[in-house]
Amino acid sequence: MFKKNNFIEHSIQGVLSFLKDSIFSEEVALKKGLLQSLDPRIKVLTFLVLLLQVLWLKDVRILMVFYGFCLALSCLSGVRLWFFLKRTWIFIPLFSLFVAIPAIFSFFTPGDAYATFHVGGIKFVITSQGLAVALLFVGRVLTCVSFAVLLSLTTRHFELLKVLRIFKVPQIFVMTLGMCYRYIYLFVEIIEHTYLAIKSRVGVSVHTQKGQRIVAWNIANLWTRSYQLNEDIYRAMLSRGFTGEPFVLNEFKIKTKDWLWVSWVVMVTFLFIFLNAHIKI
Amino acid sequence: MNNSIFELTDVSFSYLNKFPALCAINAHVKPGEKIAIIGANGCGKSTLLHLLDGLIFPDKGSLKVFGRELTEDAFDDEKFSREFRKKVGLVFQNPDIQLFCPTVKEDIVFGPLQLGIDFKDIEKRLEELINVLGIKDLLQRSPHQLSLGEKRKVALASTLIMDPEVLLLDEPTAGLDPLTTRHIIDLLLSAHAKGKTIITSTHDLHIVEEISDTVFVFSHEKKIVKSGSSAEILKDDQLLRDHNLIHVHSHHHKGAVHVHSHQHLDHHH
Repeated sequence: MFKKNNFIEHSIQGVLSFLKDSIFSEEVALKKGLLQSLDPRIKVLTFLVLLLQVLWLKDVRILMVFYGFCLALSCLSGVRLWFFLKRTWIFIPLFSLFVAIPAIFSFFTPGDAYATFHVGGIKFVITSQGLAVALLFVGRVLTCVSFAVLLSLTTRHFELLKVLRIFKVPQIFVMTLGMCYRYIYLFVEIIEHTYLAIKSRVGVSVHTQKGQRIVAWNIANLWTRSYQLNEDIYRAMLSRGFTGEPFVLNEFKIKTKDWLWVSWVVMVTFLFIFLNAHIKI
Repeated sequence: MNNSIFELTDVSFSYLNKFPALCAINAHVKPGEKIAIIGANGCGKSTLLHLLDGLIFPDKGSLKVFGRELTEDAFDDEKFSREFRKKVGLVFQNPDIQLFCPTVKEDIVFGPLQLGIDFKDIEKRLEELINVLGIKDLLQRSPHQLSLGEKRKVALASTLIMDPEVLLLDEPTAGLDPLTTRHIIDLLLSAHAKGKTIITSTHDLHIVEEISDTVFVFSHEKKIVKSGSSAEILKDDQLLRDHNLIHVHSHHHKGAVHVHSHQHLDHHH
């Protein structure tokens, strides 16, 4: 067995479980909820409209209403609030907080002093304008990320890929992406099994160098396997009549519920455009 | 009139022009025949099925299908290509290769959609098949979520939906539990009863008698060493032992040690 605190073991297990949980688990997408019941094309288009509005908003208060709306939608779609907050907030420090922090200081955003402190003899001034800019920025990122995560949680991944067709992405490209999605799972399983096979044979501990060699060998082996698989799958496609231009099933149907949702989003859009134009910051 | 479906004359094939996979194969397959191809691992069974399905082509010799020479150029003729794919269906040994779409339903209808079959017909065939195979609940699932038995059933459905005249099956029962094996054999027998030609590669001897009238035995030299009726081949212990299809087995029975050939065909009491 690898040592308990083995770096390679932790890395492999961490990556594999992340892939399985985040990409292949469709637990939420298969639930019966508001967003799950919508046509994926309508859902993607309306979410794009909502995201564009978020980007145009200039008032933090309206932005927070939008964020509240997103949380309400997640609840109506059977997404547990705590799970949703964890999923979205994990990205916020990464994408915005670290970028926004410098903006609160007078070096970058001059203005009225809100708070002052000294570090190592240097005077730091936090400005009201700087705080407002940082809040707006973080608010926008938070709301955008929340909408994006909500869309991906409530839609099966292959449906999201199929929606690319409405943006005139060629069918062959969409199909190839779908196949990638399908086969990444197979490779995840191969890696897992290979890892277990190694673990059962290599003994109590592995020297780092040897461990690295095993990982490198596995990467090469996986490459060879993927190359072989690519050839075999192409043959399987040929065998069933594929001639270069794929024809695939398109079962999307727009229902009354979808039109109601569209009308609702249009109304919300106009309301926020109006508020955005008339509320003074 | 020559009514053969496949005519193979001295067909040889090698991978990368280096590794021989088939050597001087001669065989004839007539409509409605049930044929089993048996032999040890790596003897060329899968390669032969891929040749018969027009996925690879002979290096030497001649392979005729429905009276026409099967070459790579023949598939440039769109009409021939379409007709051939409609008439000949292959179930691959590894279902993960055959199931490449995001959902089971898309996988099953992939073939007929490529062949331009009317969608209403496809839906009708789909409905029939999912009921026969008992896979209705699997339609919206991803292939990676299925068990091996379910994958094999779906792979079979994805070929059967094309309603081919000739069904090529590469180890259709490998790794399956007895009940699923039975289910698949019953399906093949029912397809044969409807006039389909069935060619199955296997080393599962206990299914050979049921799924074939004629058996081709492959040797390690990638040749057909013997062909004959299934009863005749299965009786030939020496032949089966020489080609790794049975082994000598010893066990305790009624206080004595028995040593006999073991082919998982039947058990003495």
